[in-house]
Amino acid sequence: MFVQFFAQKKKFNFVWNEEMANSIEPMIRVQNITKSFGDVVAVNNLSFEVKPGEVFGLLGPNGAGKTTTVKLILGLLELDQGEIEVFGLHPEKEEIEIKKKLGYVSEEPLIYKSMTPRMLFDFIASIRDLDEKQSTEKLKYYLESLEAIEYYEKLIATLSRGNKQKMQIIAALLHDPELLILDEPLTGLDAKSAKVVKEIIELHSERGGSIIFSTHILEIAEELCDRIAIIDRGKLVAIGTVEELSRMADKAGADLETIFLKLTHQDESVNQIIQNLKKMFQNNN
Amino acid sequence: MSTRFLYKTSKRIYKEAVLDAQIHSAGSNQQRFLERIEKDKVARSPDIIYKILATIYIASLTAIPIVSVFTMYSQLANGVNIEWINFAGGVVIGIFFLFQMVILLVFALFFSWGIMSGGPYEWIHTLPFNRKQVEKLGFLTFARSINVQLIVMTLVLPVGIATAVSLSIGMFLGFWKVLSIVLITLVLSVSNTCFNLGLLVILGRKLAIVMEEYDIASRKANLIRILTMLSYILLSMFVVTAIQLGLQQLGPFFGLNGLSVNNSILLSDILSFIPYPFSGGYLLSMFILDFNGVSTITVLGSITGFILFCIITFFVTKKALSTLRNISSPEIKRKEFLKKKTTIDDIVTKKTTPIRAFFKRDLAIITREMQQIIVLILPIMIPVYAGIIGIFDPAIKMTLISIPSEIVDQLKHSIVYLRGYVSQYTIIGNTAVNIVFIILMVYVITNTIAMIISLTNIETGGETITASLPLNVRDQIKSKLPYFFGPIIIAMLLSLLIQIRMSIFLDSLYLNLAFIPVYPILGVSGLLLKITLFGRFRHKFVVEEIKTKNKFWKYLLCIVYLILVTALFIYAAVIGYWAIFTVEAVFTILTVFAFNMMFPKKEWKIKYIF
Repeated sequence: MFVQFFAQKKKFNFVWNEEMANSIEPMIRVQNITKSFGDVVAVNNLSFEVKPGEVFGLLGPNGAGKTTTVKLILGLLELDQGEIEVFGLHPEKEEIEIKKKLGYVSEEPLIYKSMTPRMLFDFIASIRDLDEKQSTEKLKYYLESLEAIEYYEKLIATLSRGNKQKMQIIAALLHDPELLILDEPLTGLDAKSAKVVKEIIELHSERGGSIIFSTHILEIAEELCDRIAIIDRGKLVAIGTVEELSRMADKAGADLETIFLKLTHQDESVNQIIQNLKKMFQNNN
Repeated sequence: MSTRFLYKTSKRIYKEAVLDAQIHSAGSNQQRFLERIEKDKVARSPDIIYKILATIYIASLTAIPIVSVFTMYSQLANGVNIEWINFAGGVVIGIFFLFQMVILLVFALFFSWGIMSGGPYEWIHTLPFNRKQVEKLGFLTFARSINVQLIVMTLVLPVGIATAVSLSIGMFLGFWKVLSIVLITLVLSVSNTCFNLGLLVILGRKLAIVMEEYDIASRKANLIRILTMLSYILLSMFVVTAIQLGLQQLGPFFGLNGLSVNNSILLSDILSFIPYPFSGGYLLSMFILDFNGVSTITVLGSITGFILFCIITFFVTKKALSTLRNISSPEIKRKEFLKKKTTIDDIVTKKTTPIRAFFKRDLAIITREMQQIIVLILPIMIPVYAGIIGIFDPAIKMTLISIPSEIVDQLKHSIVYLRGYVSQYTIIGNTAVNIVFIILMVYVITNTIAMIISLTNIETGGETITASLPLNVRDQIKSKLPYFFGPIIIAMLLSLLIQIRMSIFLDSLYLNLAFIPVYPILGVSGLLLKITLFGRFRHKFVVEEIKTKNKFWKYLLCIVYLILVTALFIYAAVIGYWAIFTVEAVFTILTVFAFNMMFPKKEWKIKYIF
């Protein structure tokens, strides 16, 4: 259904391929950005680019600086140093123009709890000045695909974590954004809905849209991302495709988890923890 | 597992229920509430304040039956007809029982529905407790939630009556007679407590079901919360007035003989049959009077009524026990709320202008959150209340708000009739007038600050949405302006409507028209100042609180600004209409200018102005 839907709604009127992606300007350019909160350096001299049609993964342990990076791209935080360009525009100066073409899903679904999804989508359609007919059509597709129609009139406060997440994802997709920034989008979703969201991501990328995908779930990153940036304590540890990362980690053919632990220097401490756990379980037996 | 251990464990369940109730009442400010309770230990245990208040109210209201005992004996000695004294005693004690119940319900219901929802027991089932122990935990948790009130409610009346009877004519009645009065008081107290507890459990469960069925943030759930909150205020006012008036008026009432004796006998005969609250009241009254010269029908009526009351209490308690057993059970039955199922055909997107969209969003949030509704209603309530006061004469005013009538008179004039009052007094040298000014200023400033905080808080509930939307902050602020104009216009219309047939109407109309711009000017300029202090974000201003450093000083600055401007307005009002209009015109121009500078139509024009 999604393939049909997206095929009908090709937003960018050209056939997309990898050659084109390499030849044109990146959708996001992050150059040497730094952000501190008091004494804590959350992001430290970080640089990367995201090309059109690319699913770009931001990977890192909890507290690595992924969400801060996302917020800096969105213009929600002030940069201490460096520069960010989104669609060739500066988030600080041309925030509205950027946000017209961007969809964002946050780690925590901070959406108005006292509203129903109906009110929320009407609000979004009004602010984004969307066509009523087209929005209704999209909304029907998304709600049906994510099995969320029955929650359309319920208060968001009463929805489960997963259903709130679905509403947040739909809210981010309603205006067909060129760029999607997804911070742990699959949290709380059931297997079927997660599969649908993954499909949406792939279809969005296939038609030339870019995605920044922040996660700490390595299997999902491995499955979805074209390129991955590994961040640890605010610093860029490595960047590239899974193959390139495995070469960097001297772990050819290894899964992303092994590569990640190696590159973030957590492999030894993890092994130590596992050994201790084994001992404890053996002692208990 | 010992009962003592279970009682200790019940503390955790009880605390969970209290927190649940608090979180629900916080609406979309839940995140802020959670942050607040992390720092503020007092905010974690509001139940203690409710317990103390309920206990004080129940205990102090007991003064009324105690004083009644003294009065009954003294009026008996004065030769007042015993049937009348019995009638007055039965009614007063009956009403006391009734209000004991009201106080218990009002102050305990809020937390009891938290317990009755069954939610706090859910994690208990994951621990190694058997079904009997969990049931026991259910009882103990509930008992813990009202333990102090329970003890006071049961013991304070018997102790009080015993003391009163002993002090009055104990020496004439003898030990056994006094003991019988104390025993019957104890029986009545225990049965009343059981009945009240049963009622609390049943109502608490009903309330929990309503909250569950209609969603915690629904308008219906909010209405319940607002009514509960209002009943705290009304009850507090009532208790103060009842004690104040009751103690003054009991003597004249018992000595009144206002109804003919035959009428009072007939009324006593009828009322004594009513199981709750009068049969108990009559029974105690007759024991105090030693049944001498009391109508046989009243005696039979009160005994029959009391037996009926005991039967009702038995069934209420039985139902309450089964409810308590059920709520701690893992198979607690949650009623399915039958709602029309949404189908795909119901999905329609309707768009409007951004300003209207913001306004509708704010309205949806405000009408579903208790604190926000109260903030919206507050500016309407006091002018209307003052308008109502204008209708009554000074004697009634005094009983209405329990403050000296002179000040009430000044308050009335200052809020809705400032011009007329200014012609009679000057500010300097009149204490009452200065008090009125302080009240007026505190009222205006509190309202304005509450409204500003409330309207900016709305933005913090949906960060994900606002973060990604191409918002025009100018539209966002514009949509909030009606909330500064609306309540004050409604208040003006209502207070004028109340005074429409009064001689002060025209003066009141002019005065209202002159004062209408004050509240919006204060509100909007205060909002702009708050945004300047908290929302400066690089080259622009945002509604959300971003710069939270020195929060205290920034809020203090806002309050000082509001105090100064309010004082200026009041001073202008004292000088005359021309002065208030001039100040209003100057502030309107300044506010509009500041608004356009901070939120220009085109973004590139943005400049800092403060």
